[in-house]
Amino acid sequence: MPVIKTIKKTSPVNYAVALFIILTINFIIPRLMPGDPLQAIYGNEALLVLTPELQEELCRRFSLDRPLGEQYAAYLFSLCRGDLGYSYFYNAPVLKVISGFLPWTLLLTGLASFLSTLSGFFLGVESGSRRGRALDQCLLGGIMFFSGFPDFFVGIILLLFFGVFLSLAPLSGALTPYAGHSGLMLVIDILHHLALPLTALVMVRLTATYLMTRSAMITTLGEAFILTARAKGCPERTVRYRHAGRNTLLPVVTAAGLQFAHLVTGTLFIEIVFSYPGLGSLLYNSLLTRDYPLMAGILLIITIVVLTINLLLDILYSKIDPRVAQCM
Amino acid sequence: MRTLFSKPSTPIGLFAISLLALALLVLAATGCNTAKKGDRPAGLQDPIYTIADPAGDWGFPSPFAHYSRGPGYVRMSFIFDTLIWKDNQGYIPALAKSWEFLKDENAYLFLLQDQATWHDGHPFTAKDVVFSMDYMKAHSYEWVNLGVVKKAEAVDDFTVKLYLNRPYAPFLEHIAGTAPILPEHIWKDIQEPRQFLQKEALIGTGPFKLKDYSKEQGTYLYEAYSQYYQGTPKISRLKFVKVRNEMAAAALRQKQVNVAQVPPEIAGELKKEGLRKLTGRHDWVAKLMINHQKAPLDSVEFRQALAYAIDRRALVATCQRGHGLEGSPGLVPPDNSWFNARAAAAYPYDCVKAAEILAGLGYEKKDGCFKKDGQTLELELLISGGGTGVSGFPGEREGEMVKEMLETAGIKINLRSLEAKILDNLVNEWKFDLALSGHGGMGGDPETLNKVISGKAFISARFNRSDELNLLLEQQMKETDQDRRREFVNRIQEVYAREMPCLPLYYPTWDYLSDDRVSLYFTPQGIGSGVPQPLNKMSFLN
Amino acid sequence: MHVNYWREVHTTSLGRIGLGLIILMAATAALAPLLTTCQPSAYTGAPFAAPSAQHWLGTNDVGQDIWTHLLYGARTSLAVGSGVALLSLCLSVLAGCSSALLGGLYDRLLMRLVDALIIIPPVIVAILAAAYLRPNTILLVFLLSAFSWPGGARVIRAQTLSLKERMPVYAARTFGASRRRLLFSHIIPDLGPLLIALMIQDARRAVFMEAGLSFLGVCDPTIVSWGKMMQHALKFVYMDVWRWWLLPTGFALSLTIMGFTFTGFALESALNPRLRKEVSHAGN
Repeated sequence: MPVIKTIKKTSPVNYAVALFIILTINFIIPRLMPGDPLQAIYGNEALLVLTPELQEELCRRFSLDRPLGEQYAAYLFSLCRGDLGYSYFYNAPVLKVISGFLPWTLLLTGLASFLSTLSGFFLGVESGSRRGRALDQCLLGGIMFFSGFPDFFVGIILLLFFGVFLSLAPLSGALTPYAGHSGLMLVIDILHHLALPLTALVMVRLTATYLMTRSAMITTLGEAFILTARAKGCPERTVRYRHAGRNTLLPVVTAAGLQFAHLVTGTLFIEIVFSYPGLGSLLYNSLLTRDYPLMAGILLIITIVVLTINLLLDILYSKIDPRVAQCM
Repeated sequence: MRTLFSKPSTPIGLFAISLLALALLVLAATGCNTAKKGDRPAGLQDPIYTIADPAGDWGFPSPFAHYSRGPGYVRMSFIFDTLIWKDNQGYIPALAKSWEFLKDENAYLFLLQDQATWHDGHPFTAKDVVFSMDYMKAHSYEWVNLGVVKKAEAVDDFTVKLYLNRPYAPFLEHIAGTAPILPEHIWKDIQEPRQFLQKEALIGTGPFKLKDYSKEQGTYLYEAYSQYYQGTPKISRLKFVKVRNEMAAAALRQKQVNVAQVPPEIAGELKKEGLRKLTGRHDWVAKLMINHQKAPLDSVEFRQALAYAIDRRALVATCQRGHGLEGSPGLVPPDNSWFNARAAAAYPYDCVKAAEILAGLGYEKKDGCFKKDGQTLELELLISGGGTGVSGFPGEREGEMVKEMLETAGIKINLRSLEAKILDNLVNEWKFDLALSGHGGMGGDPETLNKVISGKAFISARFNRSDELNLLLEQQMKETDQDRRREFVNRIQEVYAREMPCLPLYYPTWDYLSDDRVSLYFTPQGIGSGVPQPLNKMSFLN
Repeated sequence: MHVNYWREVHTTSLGRIGLGLIILMAATAALAPLLTTCQPSAYTGAPFAAPSAQHWLGTNDVGQDIWTHLLYGARTSLAVGSGVALLSLCLSVLAGCSSALLGGLYDRLLMRLVDALIIIPPVIVAILAAAYLRPNTILLVFLLSAFSWPGGARVIRAQTLSLKERMPVYAARTFGASRRRLLFSHIIPDLGPLLIALMIQDARRAVFMEAGLSFLGVCDPTIVSWGKMMQHALKFVYMDVWRWWLLPTGFALSLTIMGFTFTGFALESALNPRLRKEVSHAGN
C-alpha cells in the first residue's frame, strides 16, 4: 500500500539532472520575453540606468548577440566562474550583492531547521508512544492546527503582539545597529532579533517531522524487538528513545533535508515580514525594483543551496545505513 | 543494564540542549530590553541620535555613488559641505564665508573659510573648489548641472571666482548650495568616480564622518567631526536605520528612533503623547499627466472635460484619507504665498458638464461609453506599481479611482502598471495618453512654474502652445517689482487652468515626528536643491 | 482489502473538521454574490470604517467593503487550488500510468525526470517565472501545476505497478484487453482514493502558493486575492483596522489550508493499513 510521503533515496545523478533543469529554466524564461535578449533579461528599467559600455560588456560576456546555443554555452561558462550577471539597482555584480545577504538567511534557516526537526522529533516520540491518549490527541490536533497557518501570517501576528503591543521583541532587522555590542551581548542581541522569526518558522514547520516520527513510532512500537525490550524490563523511557526512537531517527533526519526546501521558501516570506536582511528581503526588493538578474541569481543560489544540503544528507544517510545504499 | 544509566542520556541531553536553546531565546526576547536600559551609562557617552528611514539603503554616501533620489543626497550632505547652505531662514555661509555677484563680469566671487580642514587633516583651499568644479564637469554628477559655469578660477588661496556663460538666477540655489566640494588630493587620480568606493571617497569637510555603512541592514553611522570649522556638532553620533513605515510609530513610542516620518493618521495621536510634530508645506504635487500632443487630448475642450470628470476632493478624501490638499488647477498649492484662489476654483467636479463638452466635440454616448465615428473613446492610463518611497505618490489605488471616475463620465480607461522609472521614460518620450506622476519643489520661487509648465524635463507639462502663457512666464521672470510679479503669477495660474496641459490632483501631507533632543525643521525650498526632509545637517550643530 | 475510505475519513474528528472547512469555504466562494450587496471594486464607504451592520468587517483604506473582498478572495483561492489540483492530477496520472504500463526506457527516463523535479523547490521557480511573465490567474494555474505533478506521478506509478500484478487486471490482460481499456476500467477506478488524496495535497499547496505569490505582489492586479489583501493590510497595522482586515483574511486563508490538511491527513491514515489497523486496536 502506498503512503504519499514515501522517502526515497535519490542518487547524485538526479541532483545533476535537477541542477541542469533549473539552470535551463533560468536560462529560457527570460528569453521567452519579447525584445532582444539584453532587454529581456535585464528589463527596461535596467537598460535606462546601465551605461552603454556596460551594456556592451554584458552583451559580450554572455554572447547575447549570438545564436541561442552559444548563449547557453556562454551562460554555463560564466556560471562556472561565479558570474551571475549585474544588478542594476545595486550597481554591482549579482554574486557580490547576494553574498552580503546569504549568511543571515543561512543562520535563520539553519537554526529553524535544527529546532523544528528536534522539537518535531521529541513531540513525535512522545505523541506516538501515547497513541490515542489525551496528550497524543492534543498534540496532534494542536500541531495540525498550527501547520495550517501560512508562515508569513504567523509572523505578522507574532510581530504585532510581541513587537508592537508588548514591546518585547525588536520590530525589524537582524541586530541593533551600532549598539556597540560584542561577544556575548552581540550573540544575545542577534538571538533577540531572531526570536520571533524563528518561533514563527518552527511553529509551522515542525509538523512534517512530528507526523513522520509519530507514525514511525506507532509502527516501530508494534515490532517484536520492542516487546523483547519491554519483556527484559527496560524502563519505558529507554524503550521509547533508545529502542524505538533511534529507529525512527534516520528517516526523520532525511526528511528534514527534504523539508529544507519548504523551510527556505518559508524563510523568504518571514524575512519580508520582519525586514530581516536576508535573501527574502533582497528578493522582495528586487521584485519591487524589477531587478531581474538579481532575482534570477537569488533563486538560483537558493536552489543550489537546497540541492547541496539534500545531497549531503543523502550521502550521509547511506553511509550510516548501508541498507539504503543497496536499495539504490 | 549498564546502558540504562549512560546511553539514555543522549536523547535526554539533546532534549535538554534544545530546551536550553529555547530558554535562551525566550530570555533574549524578554530580558534584553531591561538589559539594554541598564547598560546605557548616563553621561559617559551620548546615546546615538537615530533617524528612521523606510527604505534603509540609499547607497554608498559619496557624491557619485549615492542613489540619485533625495535621501541619498541628504546622507552625502552630512559628509560633504557646499559653498553655501540653507537653514530655516535662508542662505548661510558654509565653505564660503561670503559671496558677491559681479554683474559686469557675470561671475560670482566667494571668500572661503580659512580654518576648514578635510577629515584627514589636510587644509581646505580654493584649489579644491576649482578642482571640484572641473571634476564635476568632466564626470557628471546628477544633482548639479555645471553647464552654465564657464570657468572656475582661484584668485588666491581663499578666494574663488566662478564665471558664468549666461545670466542664471538660481545659481546660488542650484550650484553654490548644491554642489559638494571634493578634496583634490584624493579625487585627482580617480577616473571612475562611481566605482570609487574606498574609505577615502568619504573624506569631506562636513560636520560628520561616516563610521559605517551596511547595505544589507540599510544603516549608516556617522560620527561628529570635532575639528569642524563651524564648531563641533552637538550630536556626537548619528545613525540612520531602516524602519518600515507602518512600524515607525511603534519605534518612536519605544524610543528606538528619535525622528521618523509617520503616516498622517497616527501623527496627531503621537503628538498628544509628547512628540514634536513637523508638518511640511504641501510642496509635492501629484499630477495627471496628459499627452497634449496627441488626438484627442490635443483639444483644450477635451482636457477641460477631463478636469471636470475627475473628483479631486474624493481623491484626497479616499486615497489620501483626507490627509492632503485638493489639487488646484492653477498648479500652485493653497498654502503657498503665490496661490491664486480664483484659478483653484476652476473645474468643480461635474460629470454632466464633462459629458456636455464631449458631446459638443462630436462624441455620442452609447451604453455608457462615448463613441465617435464608430470608435469607442478609449485611453490608456499609466500608473506606477510598487513603491517609490515617496509618501502619497499616486499608485494603484489612485489609478483605480481615476479610472472609475473617468469611466463614469463615459471615457473608457485601460490601466497599465509600470515601474516608476519606466513610466517617467514613457512620459518623456510622449508614448502615453494619461499618466499619474508627481514632483516636489512647488514651494520654491515662482521660477518653478516655468520649469514645470514649459521646461524640458519629463515632470514638466512641456506645454508651449499658448502664446499668452509663454509671454506671461517670460514676463514674471524679468519682473523685479513684487506686486507686479504677483499679478503675472496670478494670471499664469488662471491661463494654465484654462489650457489645462496637465491636471494637479492633490498635495499630500507629510508628517515627521521627533523627540526634543534636536529641534529639526523643514528647510525652505528643501535641502540642497529641494529635498523635502527635515534632516538639515545644520540642526545638529550648536 | 475493501475499505470504506469515506467512512474512515468522516468518522475521525480531524477528517470531519477538515471536510467541514472545505465545504464551508467552497460554499462561501460559490455563494459570494448572494452573501454581500457590494461589488469588490466599489467604493462603498468612508476609508477605514469600523465594522457595522452595513459593512460587516468594515472598509479598507479606500472604502471598499472588506467582507466582500474576503468572499471574492475565497473564489480566487479555491479556483486556483482546484485548478491546480485537477491539472496536476491529470499530468500525474498520465505520467504515472503510462510509465508503469509502458515500462522500458520510457519509464526509466521519465522517472529520472520525476526524481529530479521533485527536489526542485516549486515556489522559488514559480516566483521567477511569474515575475518575468506577469501572470493572469490561468497562467498561474499552469505554472503551479507544472511543478506539482511529479510527486503524484511517482506514487501513481508505484500503485499502478502493484495493481498490474493483481488478479482482475492480470485476468483482463490475459483476455486481451487493450492498454487503454485496462487503464480506464481497471486501474484508474482502483486508484480512486489515492487520487483524491493527491488532489487534496496539491490543492493545499496551490492555495498556499497563490497566497504567498500575491503577498509578494506577483499576481494579477485586477483580481481580489487573500495574499494581496494581507499585503495591503500590512501597510496599515499602526491603526486598529488590522483587526478586521488582516486577521479575518489570515484566518480565512489558514482555515482553508487547514481544511485540506486535516482531510488529507485523515485520508492518508485510512490509506495506510498499518496505521489504520492500529486505529481499530486503539479503540479496544
